[in-house]
Amino acid sequence: MAVQDAIPAPQAVEDTAGTVRRKRILRHAGIFLTLILMWEFGSRIGWLDPLFYPRPSNIMRSFWLIYFQNGNVWYHLYATMSLVFLGWIGGSILGIGLGSLVGFNSVLRRFLKPYVIVLEATPRIAVAPLLIAALGFGASSKIAIIVLVCFFAPFINTLSGVMNVDEDRLELFRSMRASKMQVLRKLVLPDAVPIIMAGERLALTAALSGALVAEFIQRDEGIGSLILVYTRNLNMASAFACIFTLTILGFLIFKGMEKIDFYVAFWKYEGGRERVSAKRRAAMEGPDHA
Amino acid sequence: MPDPTIAQSSTHDIVVSGQGVGKTFADGSVIALQDAHFNIKRGSFVSLVGPSGCGKSTLLRLISGLIPPTSGEIAVHGTPVTGPRADISMMFQKATLLDWRTAIENVLLPTEINGTPTKADKNRAFDLLKLVGLEDFAFSFPAQLSGGMQQRVALARLLQTGADILLLDEPFGALDEFTREHLNLELMRIVQEVGATAFFVTHNIAEAIFLADQVVVMTSRPGRMAKIVDVDLERPRPLSIQTSVEFNKLVEDVRETLGEM
Amino acid sequence: MHNKNSPATFWVFEFIFRVLPHLVLFAVLIWLWELAVGTGFITSIIIPRPSKIGGAIVELYITEGTIYRHFFITLTEAVVGFLIGATIAISLAVSSSLSETFKRYVIPYAIVLNVTPGIALTPVIIAWFGYGMGSKIALAAIISFFPIFVNTLTGLVQVDEDREELFQSLGATNYQVFRKFRVPAALPLMFAGLKIGLTTALIGAVVAEFAQATDGVGVLMSRFSFQLNMAASLATLMSMTTIGLILFYTMEFLDDRIVFWRRENRRAAASRARARAWKNQL
Repeated sequence: MAVQDAIPAPQAVEDTAGTVRRKRILRHAGIFLTLILMWEFGSRIGWLDPLFYPRPSNIMRSFWLIYFQNGNVWYHLYATMSLVFLGWIGGSILGIGLGSLVGFNSVLRRFLKPYVIVLEATPRIAVAPLLIAALGFGASSKIAIIVLVCFFAPFINTLSGVMNVDEDRLELFRSMRASKMQVLRKLVLPDAVPIIMAGERLALTAALSGALVAEFIQRDEGIGSLILVYTRNLNMASAFACIFTLTILGFLIFKGMEKIDFYVAFWKYEGGRERVSAKRRAAMEGPDHA
Repeated sequence: MPDPTIAQSSTHDIVVSGQGVGKTFADGSVIALQDAHFNIKRGSFVSLVGPSGCGKSTLLRLISGLIPPTSGEIAVHGTPVTGPRADISMMFQKATLLDWRTAIENVLLPTEINGTPTKADKNRAFDLLKLVGLEDFAFSFPAQLSGGMQQRVALARLLQTGADILLLDEPFGALDEFTREHLNLELMRIVQEVGATAFFVTHNIAEAIFLADQVVVMTSRPGRMAKIVDVDLERPRPLSIQTSVEFNKLVEDVRETLGEM
Repeated sequence: MHNKNSPATFWVFEFIFRVLPHLVLFAVLIWLWELAVGTGFITSIIIPRPSKIGGAIVELYITEGTIYRHFFITLTEAVVGFLIGATIAISLAVSSSLSETFKRYVIPYAIVLNVTPGIALTPVIIAWFGYGMGSKIALAAIISFFPIFVNTLTGLVQVDEDREELFQSLGATNYQVFRKFRVPAALPLMFAGLKIGLTTALIGAVVAEFAQATDGVGVLMSRFSFQLNMAASLATLMSMTTIGLILFYTMEFLDDRIVFWRRENRRAAASRARARAWKNQL
């Protein structure tokens, strides 16, 4: 609140904290560079076979190659990510929908339980060849695989979110004579948002893995096929450039989901609460003072 | 044994009554409440006190209509209770606020359940927050409020329904002694101000007497209404009244009833 | 309510009310499926008849028994990979919990490993470790590492000031705090991580088999699929489910025994066992 802003942070304290931080980052960078250099020289003096363990310098060159000189990675990135998002959205809708349905219907829950256990134990990605055989090569089987691998986390999380509603709050709603629909809309679903979001995070990661596996099998387009083809041609530097691309992508996905969570489940975060609190105050008081 | 029915001059003033009310759980093996009779006058403050398992929370839930009685009947405003109803409002030991709603939106919840809140409803919610001393926190989220403040929001929500019968199940039980004492004073003032009939469950004898016009002493195994003690202390009551001779006589009376069992 | 006094009656009721409806539903679903394919409502190339799947199951599991060799290969790959991944993950997590400096330098790399889809490494791992079991074990180890590491570390470093103060007030050494407080407190989370790790290890083994291998249920699965032999493919899928169930329930069993204080019935059993042990000592 305002009190905190009013007290200026002592300059000296801030300086030491900044210095410590800077030193720490430098040390991290130092260690990282040492590792990279060891790798590079280990390869140059023949400890590591550069055919299998590409030198960092070669990986950097491959980055330049696939991003700018040839620029071929963009097409494959787009091919992979468009399907990942489509499949993720489809899987989410399926998972959340089915999760709420099963969470609310105890009969359905009882009869579906054995199948859910079986589905949970099966490595779902293993169905990939089957789906490709059934739906043929191309985007449709890829999307089906992605939907299948990513619907489960939102499904299970929605289910547990819906079922673990606080008894006291439920009693409050009953005492206010709320309808089933109102309990669902005003209590159960908002209450389940944080755990559903956690499921969505897992789902997006799973979707990317699903897409890669589908591409490994289909070998047509996408980052997965690119990695496979580069590795087959023993162009390991380019394969690693693709893998590190996925690292960056994974990091962006992680940060993106964090951002979405901050907006969707705002009440979990200090900053989110303050933002929405100010907005609602303005919305309710605005017309009066205008 | 004295007849645990409150003597009444005029039946017209009675807002809540129970005849032979009983409740058993788990296929009859657990008797939570046995043969309770009571007639409660309009505007009175009734404390229910007793050890855990004496059925005081059960009695409250029976009155609210959240659970049906196994035997007997409860009537509110002359009509039998068959389920949750609009003229009864309830408050719990936990604040049970919704984390994703600001204080004022939480207060508005009961209104929303019954329709779309109007401008007047919103003003009323704001006035109630003022009444519980939280007008500056109307747009704060529960996580930004202390435990005591959260219970005040719950209290405002309790009043927002406009119900004239208030059921409070150990509402300040989880708070520290000082906050609780303070909120008890506020509660007394507010209930008097709105002229509601209140049922207050507690396991603290002094608190029960301090707040109430009548103290229903309950005993356990099976849960029973053992005695109803009338509290004829003048209002408004200062905290210091708790050291007076009359007050301590009442405490002794309740303690003896509980000890007999 | 049914009579719980006699165990025989209890099991009869248990069967009639709890198991039978499931069996009936399952039979009806299978029958409808059979009917749908039989009448041509569903094309049978994509979705085989249940009776054909049954035939494939009999062939694979009984008359020819081809599945078993592949089954045990995949099971071994997943378990060995998991054990390697878990050993590395737990040692790094323990070291990180003991040394703040070590933790600071390990975590960035662990995060990089986490955000990289481990599956993406499949072709490279196969190039490195060959077409045999080695590459499957390596991939299983790599992708099962992170969930175990992060859960164990979170469990070990979670703060419980009151209990820590209690240990300090008793004059406990750092090692005692670790042994008697931190490790038991971390066990529930560690087991959660191990369960996820075991599942991902199986995924790693199967995906690596898809990519390039000669043995394992993954190979069998893709071979049958591309022969459009859906019945055999589904029968193979069943063996993967079985591996998954075996792994999951083994872990669940260990979790139940080792972290016994979370479940009422396990608590009671442990309490009885310890009471007996005391009596024998006295």
